[in-house]
Amino acid sequence: MTDIATKADPLADYGLLLRRRVFIVAALSFLTLGAFLLDVALGPSGLTVGETLQGLFFPEEARRSVTVILWQVRLPAATMAVLVGIGLSLAGAEMQTMMNNAMASPFTLGVSSAASLGAAFAIVLGMSLPGIPQGWIVAFNAFVFAFGSMALLQLLVRMRGAGAETLVLFGIALVFTFNALVSLLQFVASQETLQRLVFWTLGSLTRANWESIGILAVVVAVISPMSFRAAWSLTALRLGEDRARSFGVDVGRLRIYSLLRISLLTSASVAFVGIIGFIGLVGPHIARLLVGEDHRFFLPVSALMGALVMSLSSIASKMIIPGILVPVGIVTALVGLPIFFALILKRKERL
Amino acid sequence: MVNPFRLALALVWAVVLVASLVSAAPSAFAQNAPWPREVTDVLGRKVTLTAAPKRLMLAEGFQIQTLGLLTKQPADLLAAWGGDLAALDPVVYGIYTKAFPKLAEVPVVGAGTGDTFSLEKALSVSPDLAIFSAWQVPGGVQDPALAKFEAAGIPVVVIDFYRDPLKNTVESIRVLGEALGREAEAKAFIDFYSARMDVIRTRVAAGLPDKPSVMLHAYPGIWPCCWSAGSGGTGEYIRLVGGQNIGGEKFPTENGGQLNLEYLIDRDPEIYIATGLPQLKQKGALAVGFGIDKAEARASLAGVMQTPGISDLSAKDKGRVHGLWNFFNGSPLNILAIETLAKWIQPKVFADLDPDADRAEINKRFLAVPFEGTYWIDLKEPAKQ
Repeated sequence: MTDIATKADPLADYGLLLRRRVFIVAALSFLTLGAFLLDVALGPSGLTVGETLQGLFFPEEARRSVTVILWQVRLPAATMAVLVGIGLSLAGAEMQTMMNNAMASPFTLGVSSAASLGAAFAIVLGMSLPGIPQGWIVAFNAFVFAFGSMALLQLLVRMRGAGAETLVLFGIALVFTFNALVSLLQFVASQETLQRLVFWTLGSLTRANWESIGILAVVVAVISPMSFRAAWSLTALRLGEDRARSFGVDVGRLRIYSLLRISLLTSASVAFVGIIGFIGLVGPHIARLLVGEDHRFFLPVSALMGALVMSLSSIASKMIIPGILVPVGIVTALVGLPIFFALILKRKERL
Repeated sequence: MVNPFRLALALVWAVVLVASLVSAAPSAFAQNAPWPREVTDVLGRKVTLTAAPKRLMLAEGFQIQTLGLLTKQPADLLAAWGGDLAALDPVVYGIYTKAFPKLAEVPVVGAGTGDTFSLEKALSVSPDLAIFSAWQVPGGVQDPALAKFEAAGIPVVVIDFYRDPLKNTVESIRVLGEALGREAEAKAFIDFYSARMDVIRTRVAAGLPDKPSVMLHAYPGIWPCCWSAGSGGTGEYIRLVGGQNIGGEKFPTENGGQLNLEYLIDRDPEIYIATGLPQLKQKGALAVGFGIDKAEARASLAGVMQTPGISDLSAKDKGRVHGLWNFFNGSPLNILAIETLAKWIQPKVFADLDPDADRAEINKRFLAVPFEGTYWIDLKEPAKQ
């Protein structure tokens, strides 16, 4: 009876499922907005809500220190947190699908190590391309190296038509190579530059300024719709490469463009904030638990989850010990690790 | 037959002679002990030296300046040294290698903590004394690097101007004086140093009018904003001269850490002090130290004060923004930094201190290579006299 009933109206069931997922997207958007506002409202100086609102909407009437705190300290960091969360988490979601591996993230393939190496060249040796302003060489180098490492992977995919497994192996080799080179640079670095490099690799939102936010915002705004447009083919890919091909998906092409989107999102995020781990892993995983594999929902929910977790981490990094900043990369790793362990254990049960 | 009277007299003589020798011996030993002698270093280790060392392995190259307080020819004593100076302070390295060209030929045996030292290299130059800084042997008396050198028959003394400067600066100079057989030079510097410390301690003990809040900002424009001194190291100097270090009370360890810029703006410290090095000439960083003149130092401090957030501190309008050479935190010349901080933090109490004159005196009386340049700077130009 029930069997017949469910078969009788699959469209209604599907409609219910869709509505449920739309509701999740809406609720997450709401939560993310709330976390962002909380991030802007909280800080060690304890501005009142009235002062905060005045500083935000009527800055010319507010005290100078209030406007500086809001516009130079809190807003850039809070905005950067959201953008980086979207960028890294969306890149992670695409990466997991493309590699058909739930443990993959852009950092698995050596993007973070490559970015660290680029930053180390700039910080330790002061090396960069000519014509780059002094204040930008670290971000520029990090971006170029991160993007370069992904381009190298691209080349491999094109040359060998390599599958996910080769990609992972090659990525691991890159991680070790870059890490060794970073260690070598650390070995010759002076005290103050070594410290600076260590701080860079810990990840920090305090480096955000309105220029870097503008650049990352453009990257996210351009790439995300492209990613969402590929949702159908990516969903098909989840069913297996052969199945996707039978649906008419050009898997090779999909892989190349997907890798390009991942490269741009990750490199741009890492360049401005340093290494922030686990967002690219945790965001997509929670998203999958919430909405499943349908990439029309999986991708936006991943992006929102990333933004939400980053916003909460940003709040935690300044509120754990008010007045002190715990590097946000450490906070996200500590938040992300328990989830990661849970996932590994769950996976084992399934095997 | 022996005259009993004479025998008694001889006995008395002998007793007097022996007694006087015994009583004289310890003081003679302390003043100018013969070799071999025993030296107790800052870790409390007792080290026996058979003869005055002539071939030193100076593990922290930066301390060539400290050797330069005790001898005018520090390079002649070196058989090997740490590579830290060239990397850490290229300006001072350049000046010393120019003053003593043979320094460029002295083998380099490592650059950081003891475990990065090439024992083989150190042995191949056969030093007769190795000098380590306490931060290089983090394991203390148990540190494996010390055991390795001792097993190779190379005596090691440990000095310290970085970890516990208020306690160990005088001790370290004493250790070096005794170990190198240069007690007179060491004593002269210790007297100079202690006289000035005594003035500061006495006045602080007599009571201070206030306890102004101080931000000591390490390497603005280089390290992420805002790295502050903790309660140790330079933070100790601030406490000593009656300042309230706004970072010192915050951190779980004494090393300092990163403060939220918002906290700095909100606390709005009465005194803001940036630290820097001569090679940090990029915008937003502080260039002070060897070879930097006052105008350049002041201009770079003005650049630091344009950093968003820091530019609005009220210390700027009060004329209480200053810049300080960062490496006072590892040098016996820290007395100059302490005097300077005393004047900045308690101007009424310490108005008569004259660190400029003291620097000139150190240059004239002690240092092998004069300490030239600008090591402390006020943002506000002093009124013309």
